[in-house]
Amino acid sequence: MKIRALRLFNVKRFAGRGVAIEDFSDGVNVLCAANEHGKSTSFEALHALFFQPHTGTPGDVQRLRPYSGGNPLIEADIVTADGHFRLTKQYYSGRRASVTDLATGRLVAQADEAERFIAGLIRGGNSGPAGLLWVRQGITGIEKRSKSEEDGDKLVRASLLESVQGEVEAVTGGRRMAEVLAACAEELAPLVTSTGRPKTGGRYAAAIAEHERLVAEEQRLKADVIKLREALDRRAAQMKRLAEIEQSDSRDERRNAVLRAQAVFDKAKSQSDVLKTAEAQLGLVRQQRDIIGRDLAAFREALGEAERIRTERVDVDARRRTAAEQRDAAIAAIEKATLESDAAERAEKTAREHLARIEAASRAREAAERLHELEQRLADAEATRADLERGEADLALLDLPKGAVDELQKIEIDIARFRAVEDAARPSVAIRYEADAGERVSLDGQPLADGEERGYEGQAQLSVPGIGLITLRSNRPQSVNTKLAAAEASRGKLLASMGVASLAEARQRQVDAQRKREQIEGLRNRIRALAPDGLPLLREEIMRRREAGLAAVDAEGDPEQAKAALTAAEHRREVARDALRQVQPLRGSAEEALIAARTAAAGLDAHAIHVDAVLGLEEARKEREDALAKGLADLETRLSEMEQGVTALRASLIDLPSAEAGLQRARSVEETATREAGALRETIAGLNGLIVRNQDEAIEEQWRETAEAREAAARRVEAFRAEVAALQRLQAALETARSGARDLYLKPVMTELRPLLGLLFNDVSITFDEKTLLPQTILRNGQEEDVERLSGGMREQLSVLTRLSFARLLARDGRPAPVILDDALVYSDDDRIESMFDALHRQSRDQQIIVFSCRQRAFLKLGGTSLRMTDWVPA
Amino acid sequence: MFRFIHSSDLHLGKRFGNFSGDLPVRLREARHGALARLAAFAREHGASTVLLAGDTFDTETPSPEIRRQALAEMRHHAPLRWVVLPGNHDSLQASELWRGLQTEAPENVILAMDCQPLTLAPGVTVLSAPCTTRRPGRDLTEWMTGAATPEGTLRIGLAHGAVQSFSEETVATDVIAPDRARRSGLDYLALGDWHGAVAVDPHTHYSGTPEPDRFKHNRPGAALLVSVEAAGAVPEVQTLVTQSFSWRSLDLHLLDGMDSVSALQELLPEARHRRQALVRVIASGRSRLAGRTALAAAMAHAAPDFAYLDLDDAPLATECESADLDIIDRAGALREAADALLAEADDPARSTAEREIARAALTRLFSHCETINQ
Repeated sequence: MKIRALRLFNVKRFAGRGVAIEDFSDGVNVLCAANEHGKSTSFEALHALFFQPHTGTPGDVQRLRPYSGGNPLIEADIVTADGHFRLTKQYYSGRRASVTDLATGRLVAQADEAERFIAGLIRGGNSGPAGLLWVRQGITGIEKRSKSEEDGDKLVRASLLESVQGEVEAVTGGRRMAEVLAACAEELAPLVTSTGRPKTGGRYAAAIAEHERLVAEEQRLKADVIKLREALDRRAAQMKRLAEIEQSDSRDERRNAVLRAQAVFDKAKSQSDVLKTAEAQLGLVRQQRDIIGRDLAAFREALGEAERIRTERVDVDARRRTAAEQRDAAIAAIEKATLESDAAERAEKTAREHLARIEAASRAREAAERLHELEQRLADAEATRADLERGEADLALLDLPKGAVDELQKIEIDIARFRAVEDAARPSVAIRYEADAGERVSLDGQPLADGEERGYEGQAQLSVPGIGLITLRSNRPQSVNTKLAAAEASRGKLLASMGVASLAEARQRQVDAQRKREQIEGLRNRIRALAPDGLPLLREEIMRRREAGLAAVDAEGDPEQAKAALTAAEHRREVARDALRQVQPLRGSAEEALIAARTAAAGLDAHAIHVDAVLGLEEARKEREDALAKGLADLETRLSEMEQGVTALRASLIDLPSAEAGLQRARSVEETATREAGALRETIAGLNGLIVRNQDEAIEEQWRETAEAREAAARRVEAFRAEVAALQRLQAALETARSGARDLYLKPVMTELRPLLGLLFNDVSITFDEKTLLPQTILRNGQEEDVERLSGGMREQLSVLTRLSFARLLARDGRPAPVILDDALVYSDDDRIESMFDALHRQSRDQQIIVFSCRQRAFLKLGGTSLRMTDWVPA
Repeated sequence: MFRFIHSSDLHLGKRFGNFSGDLPVRLREARHGALARLAAFAREHGASTVLLAGDTFDTETPSPEIRRQALAEMRHHAPLRWVVLPGNHDSLQASELWRGLQTEAPENVILAMDCQPLTLAPGVTVLSAPCTTRRPGRDLTEWMTGAATPEGTLRIGLAHGAVQSFSEETVATDVIAPDRARRSGLDYLALGDWHGAVAVDPHTHYSGTPEPDRFKHNRPGAALLVSVEAAGAVPEVQTLVTQSFSWRSLDLHLLDGMDSVSALQELLPEARHRRQALVRVIASGRSRLAGRTALAAAMAHAAPDFAYLDLDDAPLATECESADLDIIDRAGALREAADALLAEADDPARSTAEREIARAALTRLFSHCETINQ
């Protein structure tokens, strides 16, 4: 959008008249006039046209009205991509708004539609910056400002942030946003810390603390109230119990119970004493009766014992007599048996000597016969020995050296082999006779058999019957066979050494020698049989026997008979000894029986003396027994009487332990009651103290009060919590929206701003933090300076440049917007303004810039389209 | 003809810790003042007796001041007789209280501490059922059936507790038979415990408290003036308003487009009565953002007129239209934030608490922007 003309009527100082500013150009337009010429009025009118609905009469509209009243009329011609339009608004009576297409003269929109059309021009979409960018004297926003705000202006403006970022936020809703945020923060600050915790000393924290205090207090009071109620309940119960105990009826009853129990106990005790005496007497009598009973029993036992001793004594004497008789009989029998035994032994000895003599004679005879036989065998052996010696001498003659025969045989074989070889080399002759040839041919006189081959040496003669003598000559030198000759020589020597003519003879000699050897062996065996231990030993034995040659004993009799006699004697002796052995023990046992009988008799006698002592004199015995029996009977009677008495006593007896227990119980009931009453009184007194104290403090009322207060405090805390949550939520929503807008616009604006800064401040460079978009450093003449120390002029210039950046941004988006400056550069010196406008001219050929200024001199040099105000009256 | 005042639940000594400032003291004082007002009505209407059907004292252990000053006030109105029945708050278990009352009570104060027929006047007998403990767990009026009185005697029952569900304590195991009057031949059964006046049947009444202490009942505190012509006659019961403070819950139902502030003004009592009024305005229906903030502001403005004024606007739904949001801003980051908050407040996927917070934040934003705009 670009503005082409502005007309106003009945606005502020122009009461009842109008002015028109026509022919705005595309680039820089300057309306330069002295103060009070209507520059600001034009500026405000233009602003109202775009931002104040025609229907309303807010302060901004009211200010447009002249003092004399009237209906302000504002009109502007604009160019947009869609064409040329005229915007008209009239406020107060006859209020209207219209949009007319200048090309066709057609009314495009009216009233609200017209407002929407205008809004569409200044609003780049839903959340974009306004399509018009305004800068006014030293301030950067158009909003209404309070007095205090103006005062704080310097402070607010002191930061570069406000002059740059504030602009961006102005078009993104920022100032009000900042105010809302500040209000939010102001409301939150007393409540919570920056981290969202309840702030110490703040109302929220105090409410929480109060609530906690009340909760604790309520707990404490509740516990006290419970304690108090318990105390009341307990006291009521205990007082009730005390009343029960203290009732006079029950007290008397307890007393009477004690008295009754005491009486019973006393009676039981006296009964018990009587019984004890009776029982003691009874015991005494029983003891006496027992003594007498025992005496009588002993006496009677002694009587019985005396009788038994008497009987036994008779028996013992009889046994003694029998034992003595038996002993005497045994002595006689032993004597007789001893005699027989001695006789039998003597007879046996005689028989044994007789037999020995007979046997000695027999042995002497046998020894003589044996010697004779041995002498014959020795003679035989010695004869055989002589034969053996002769045989051995014969054998020595016959025997050939060992291996000589085998040697001879070997030489014979060699000779035969040598001869065979010689024969093979020798010419030979053989004749196959015809079948019918009768006569045989002979060689050197020896007939030749059919087929027989025969050799010859040198010359031989065949005599063929019927034919003649045929001489055969070999005609070869006579060869001498040395090997054969040597063999034959050896044979000859061997034969000579052996003393035989030929091998056959040698073999014969060998066989003879063998036969002789066997003969000798036979002789040797014979000698060995005759004298197994050798001849010398045989000879020695013969010598020994000869020397020991027994003298012949003279003894007659048959040894068999003698043996039988001995056996009979031995048998007699055995029988006699057995008889003796049988009778000997009889004597011992008889003597033992005798001693036992005597001992028994002595024992009985001693016992009889003791029993007699007990019994006393024989004649007084009966009397004494009767006396004892009577005494016993008397005592028995007395005892039974007394027992009956005691039994009767026992039956009527009161049980003393239960009487005592009854008494104790009655007493303890009484005591317990007394003690309990005392304890109850004590407890009640203690409870009274507690109750009265709590009563005086009206603790229950306090508790209820605290509970109610605690509920109220809880509600208060909850209200604070909700308040804080809402405020924090609002803060978060605002921050989010703002940072969103910042991302959307501020960064691109900074991008646009940076080259403009370069144009204007060639001696100064400002760097911005990319993230916070705050100016970081200012470098002037190579010196780093404090960001806070920007001059007012520089801030203004930054402010203008920022808008310019916006304008460029919008233009780039296809939504060009004019930048309107109303004495925006009051602090800047003329040179700076000039250089700035140079920059503007160069950079904004398509950018419409409208400048209202009173600094005619400064702006005269700036060039651009110079605007003029002319009188105007609406048609 | 016998005429008496039936009242109950004075709760003397109640401290009202849920309020702040001097209001608790005033409320407490007002309860004590009920005694004088009852006495004045009795004199005015020719009643000789005031029956207090229990809970005369708020606790079992009221401070000696409360007890003594109450007795002094009663004594002051002699020969008017006061019959004081132990209720559940001041049951006989509070032996200290009743012993104190016994020793200190003047002649014109009768303590109904026994289940015994009590002759009030010739031919008039009171049968009382004192609460033995806080929760007796049985019908204490049972004995009245067996209590014989001479022919033609007026039988007046005096009891404290719930008849079916008319109890201030929610758990009621010790229920008085609702037809006790008929069963026991009572001409009138004076009941206490329920803080609002209720007629159970023509012979059985709850008087309610003469001085309300909560918003629950939403009716003026009153006492009953009872006249009984003769035994067997239907008693004539008249309600006498005795309250010093009024406790009111006011329903403010708003519709879209309604002026919330004028609706509120119509609802609130006239200025003269506000000093003695405790009012809770319960706003419901629908309202625009502006109406809501205006209502809050009007409440805040009216609050100092009242003993207590509270707004419960939780049931009030907020309508939000684009014109409302335009007041915040037509566009820009503020509008973005407002839109986001509105969306969140209407987002059914979020919890109620979150939506409430978002709505409160939006309302706050709205009111801030409105302030800035002005």
